[in-house]
Amino acid sequence: MTPLDHGAVAGESFPDAAGVASGSPTGSRSRRDKTTDLETAIDRYVPDGASVAFGGMGGRDPEAAAREIVRQEKSGLTVLDDARTTLFDIMVGAGCVDRYVGSWVGTSLISQGHNVRNAVENDVPHHLEMRDVSNFGSSLMFLAGAMDVPFVPTRSMLETDIPEHNPDIEVVEDPLGSGDDLALVPAATPDVAVIHVQRADRLGNAQIWGNVVNDHLKARAADRVVVTCEEVVPTETIQRHPELTKIPFYAVDAVVEVPFGSHPWHCYGYYYADLPFYREYGQRSRDREDFLDWLDEWVVPHEEYLERIGAERLATLERMEAQLNDLPPVDGDAEEEEGSR
Amino acid sequence: MTSRQHPAAVDEAEGRTPETLSGADIDYPVDVDRPHETAEDYSLTELLAVSAAHEIENGELAFIGVGMSLISGILAKHTRSPDCQLVTESGYVGSRPPGVVQSISDTVLGVDALFASNQFQIFTDNQRGLFDVGIIGAGQIDRYGNTNSTVVTGADGTYDHPKVRLPGSGGSNDIMTSCGRSVVMMRQDERAFTTDLDYRTAPGHLDGGDARERAGFRGDGPSAVITDMAIFRFDDDGEMVLSATHPGVGVDDVRAEVQWDLQVADDVSTTPEPTRGELAVLRAIDPTDTVLRGSDYIYEVGFEEWSERVMEQWKAFQDTQ
Repeated sequence: MTPLDHGAVAGESFPDAAGVASGSPTGSRSRRDKTTDLETAIDRYVPDGASVAFGGMGGRDPEAAAREIVRQEKSGLTVLDDARTTLFDIMVGAGCVDRYVGSWVGTSLISQGHNVRNAVENDVPHHLEMRDVSNFGSSLMFLAGAMDVPFVPTRSMLETDIPEHNPDIEVVEDPLGSGDDLALVPAATPDVAVIHVQRADRLGNAQIWGNVVNDHLKARAADRVVVTCEEVVPTETIQRHPELTKIPFYAVDAVVEVPFGSHPWHCYGYYYADLPFYREYGQRSRDREDFLDWLDEWVVPHEEYLERIGAERLATLERMEAQLNDLPPVDGDAEEEEGSR
Repeated sequence: MTSRQHPAAVDEAEGRTPETLSGADIDYPVDVDRPHETAEDYSLTELLAVSAAHEIENGELAFIGVGMSLISGILAKHTRSPDCQLVTESGYVGSRPPGVVQSISDTVLGVDALFASNQFQIFTDNQRGLFDVGIIGAGQIDRYGNTNSTVVTGADGTYDHPKVRLPGSGGSNDIMTSCGRSVVMMRQDERAFTTDLDYRTAPGHLDGGDARERAGFRGDGPSAVITDMAIFRFDDDGEMVLSATHPGVGVDDVRAEVQWDLQVADDVSTTPEPTRGELAVLRAIDPTDTVLRGSDYIYEVGFEEWSERVMEQWKAFQDTQ
């Protein structure tokens, strides 16, 4: 893997960048304006052959970023991950992915991952190599990566065929003498993690509502991190609720504002999942020609994608979510005071 | 925030373990005549969901996945076990979802949740033995309850080039290893109830006897297997025993869908039928037939109608809470 370009992305440096001693002026640890556009971020941080981890899990998935990866025709990717749904199936069908290490692949409750099956079973469009771990195993491979240690032990996966067919997992007897067997889960250190969040500031302080899945670990395990978010907000907004920052600026390289960036999945506090949309994907991905038509129709720049979905439909998804969960607290908003009870 | 006072909630406030509700004590959150009477018509899928819900006792921490297992958990929470706490692998604990869950991070899981955390934390707590019961699905199972949800290799296939690539472990391996006890939900099929798993994804009772204890597993492993034909439990050696058959299903019908010489309990019973109340709740939380699939409605419904039905349903349930 050739080292990724560490050059600063578009935008002026943050005023007090000089006050931070550590980190190069353009690296992830710098306090600079990291905002850019989706095309630039994917072009720069997801080169052909890269290993990639994606955030979310059937909710808050970076779907728009993945479609951009497909649009830029990236190839030879290794996806290091936990459970993956539509975005993975689309990338596999489009031929972007050679290898997957993770715990679960499908698309949804109402459809299988047809492209994943076609790639693994029939080598269409080419073979997809699978390396299974359990869900806890996937969390631990990112924990090990985030800790910068070679492995983390667990009691999961013992006495099964998972270590048998995943040669990276070793089963050993506890070296400290308990006599217990333990499965050693090797560190995952993806070249890049692509994570969608509710909001972030220009420095990359990324705030998440609701569940976090493994995103806080993926961001630390990866060499580079692209955060896409529903909204870029002022740093003061972040500072009012620092407890919501799950990924701090020093782990982030690029920030991209991508409203409805998880569609057709949910974004907690913002919009509900669009089941009829991914149902259609499930139906059209059964057949190779239909899938290629689907790609032509939907793998387009994100603004165009949203236009095709339609403002009214997006507003309905927002209304659905508003019925379930409150929007994130906003800086100085009177509603917040009322809502904090 | 007002909540209806179930008898079990009162128990919990006084520090007693809440008892699982039955009969007239169940307060169904839907309007239905004679809710405690046996339902007249129900599908096998609905019976499966109700039977799995009966495996969750009140006050338990129940670790559940997407689809049938989650609809069973939600049903338990809205009926016999209002004080069970649902645990999901994406990070939520204690949710009271007003409707079915489409995916493991479905935002309905945020409703009334006690804890919104992350997958690492949930599985750490699971490995520590903090959860009572887990419900998983599987593609294949053997007589000791070991399961496969990874690959069906077929005659000439391999792990790398299987006949059928299944979704993979998800949380099933971790739940079957460490959760207090586990319930497996699957289709009854002679190819699925096999003497020879193509791949062991999750550990049941391994080779039987004290094998789990020797392996150092904290959880007790599978306690029940629920299919569209029957309910199985496990004997002291960890081998599956036919415990109940669903109404209209004979013991021989089940035997025909199992590859090995199946043990049958002396007092094999008939699975209790759903009550009218349980069925009404089940259908209410799945107004678009997303999980129950009594029809093709979910494949045909348009966006507008889908969103309206779902929102109406949520509102109806939220009004009862």
